[in-house]
Amino acid sequence: MRIFDPHIHMTSRTTDDYEAMRDAGVEALVEPAFWLGQPRTSVGSFVDYFDALLGWERFRAAQFGIAHHCALALNPKEANDPRCAEVLDVLPRYLAKDGVVAVGEVGYDSMTPEEDDAFARQLELAQRHDLPVLVHTPHRDKQAGTRRTLDVVRESGLAPERVLVDHLNETTVRMVADAGCWMGFSVYPDTKMDEKRTVALLTEHGTDRMLVNSAADWGRSDPLKTYKTGQAMLDAGFSAEDVEKVLWHNPVEFYGQSGRLVLDPVAAGAVDAATGSSVLRGER
Amino acid sequence: MTFHLGYGTNGFSNHRLGDALAVIADLGYTAVALTLDHHHLDPFADDVARQTDRLAARLHELGLRAVVETGARYLLDPRRKHHPTLVSSDQDRRVDFLVRAKRIAADLGADCVSFWSGVGSPDDWDHLRSGVAAVLENGPSVPIGLEPEPGMVVQWLEQALRLRTELGDPEQLRITLDVGHCVAVEPQDAAACIRQAGELLVNVQLDDMLPGVHEHLEFGDGHLDLPATLAALTDIGYTGVAAVELPRHSHAAPDVAARALRALRAARWLADAERAVRTDPNAIDTLFPAVGRAVGTGEDAARVRLLTAFADATGDPVDGLTRLYRYGTSAERRGVLRGLAELGDRAPAAGVALVEDALRSNETGLVAAALGPFATRHLGRHAWRHGVLKCLFMGIPLTAVDGLDRHSDPELLRMVAAFAEERRAAGRPVPADALALLGKAS
Repeated sequence: MRIFDPHIHMTSRTTDDYEAMRDAGVEALVEPAFWLGQPRTSVGSFVDYFDALLGWERFRAAQFGIAHHCALALNPKEANDPRCAEVLDVLPRYLAKDGVVAVGEVGYDSMTPEEDDAFARQLELAQRHDLPVLVHTPHRDKQAGTRRTLDVVRESGLAPERVLVDHLNETTVRMVADAGCWMGFSVYPDTKMDEKRTVALLTEHGTDRMLVNSAADWGRSDPLKTYKTGQAMLDAGFSAEDVEKVLWHNPVEFYGQSGRLVLDPVAAGAVDAATGSSVLRGER
Repeated sequence: MTFHLGYGTNGFSNHRLGDALAVIADLGYTAVALTLDHHHLDPFADDVARQTDRLAARLHELGLRAVVETGARYLLDPRRKHHPTLVSSDQDRRVDFLVRAKRIAADLGADCVSFWSGVGSPDDWDHLRSGVAAVLENGPSVPIGLEPEPGMVVQWLEQALRLRTELGDPEQLRITLDVGHCVAVEPQDAAACIRQAGELLVNVQLDDMLPGVHEHLEFGDGHLDLPATLAALTDIGYTGVAAVELPRHSHAAPDVAARALRALRAARWLADAERAVRTDPNAIDTLFPAVGRAVGTGEDAARVRLLTAFADATGDPVDGLTRLYRYGTSAERRGVLRGLAELGDRAPAAGVALVEDALRSNETGLVAAALGPFATRHLGRHAWRHGVLKCLFMGIPLTAVDGLDRHSDPELLRMVAAFAEERRAAGRPVPADALALLGKAS
């Protein structure tokens, strides 16, 4: 099984996870910028975090044969803290970097005016930098939040096929499917979605524009949920091609819209591990 | 309006001409340098006029601009390469061929006919001049480009220009320049030759070469400064054809042509980026991160060039270097660290701060790049020794450390020996380059 985890927070994970993921078939991933559990109190804290996603984490992933990319943004939760919101001024500098394949996670947490503002500004940045967008949908009041998300996306003028709306479930998938955006399902040990329910939604809605992720982070989560969902798909009678489409081709197609996807882990790590010399090739 | 990147069909001599043109156009070239040959539009064929018409239509269809080249090896004489030339006693046959080539060029709508003098002695000069005059006088009015060719009577640009002056500066006698030849034999570099030829330039051949060796090489295999060469073409306002000239690479033509175009596009991007930074130094903020995507191979060297342009344009590179490093990805930071070798002496204190930051990281690429010539010159001895030891810990070959043999001292050897002892005590292997360093000292 060849797997691309389109949403996972490796900064919070161990090297054991990297090894287990590679053994299970994970060859590429996208780590979106998000909340760290412990609230940030300054822009500097974001800048260091962005540097880590573009540098150290990418290097770490390459050691395990995994191509690491990231999505960068001010997350909705911290958009409400005026000490953090100024990160939007340095974000454009970072969106120009190699390895950045989307703007994200953006969207809503509590649906405040501050979140409205940060969301709209970052959709604009995505357009300016020609990057797709990864949208987080809220845990609380998810249906209303998802509806409002789709309204804001429509008003922004972004093409729906450049937007991935994540953390969907049975009650929100239909409206996103109808809007023409990509649909993301975060498969968790006890919250969000599980493997069985995800497979049921794939059976009902088909595999087009569908993405499955582990969204594994610092909470109780499992970086092998992509693999386990693939197994559950096979058990339910999906073909190996269907599984590869959902777990590999769909994320490659979505993030490939950035033009910055490099699926060779060594090239994505950008340097030869031993000599430190660049091994980037002209063709990607 | 800029110049057109093309490829020479003499580098596709194992292809049918039609196939070669299709491959060249499909790769993304917008021009072709057509070498007339027995299998590529034979100028002596009975139906050459009809073939030429068909070819003109095909070039139009493919959107390829053309120049006509006349360097075929055995077209006029099956036994003697390139014979006869304009310095041979039977010069007439060469003149006849070149006039035929002019007719073909006119029918194709090509920019010019390119030609060289021939191998001979300085005494052949007058004979050559009368031959060139004959080519100018006969056939349709088509520009002809005299190409200085190593080992021939006209081998330097200076000589080609002198011949033109002696003929009274005829409007249709122009210059073809092979930039590889400039590296091999000219007293100045290719960019300077291009500027000297200026508006007389009617055709350009692109390839790499080593000084003193007339062997056409792929870009990067010789000493040509490709970005500076392309920048010079832009500077003089050249809008004609610049075509890759690799006549000995036909066996792998499609791959070689693809590589060449990648190198040309990367060099063109870099030349434009350097120009942008010289005009507005702040442009480096958005160009520096994009280097990897734009040039691929040679990313570090390209970043160093941008830094050099930046330092030249600002005169005070301290803030710039520090900012680019501070907000840089690992690859950008590596570029800044490599740049310190050349630029760091202008800002030693800032440079040392960056090297120290890199040595605190755990990325092999940054640690290796930090221990370049700048660190050898400016980093404190204690920090430098720890950097070397860190390489051993991280598995970075000590060849990454600049001037290790010259600068290792008893204290470093003591540290390395202790490291080796610790590894042995733990039952773990001692890195070979640690042993080598200790061995050299003992």
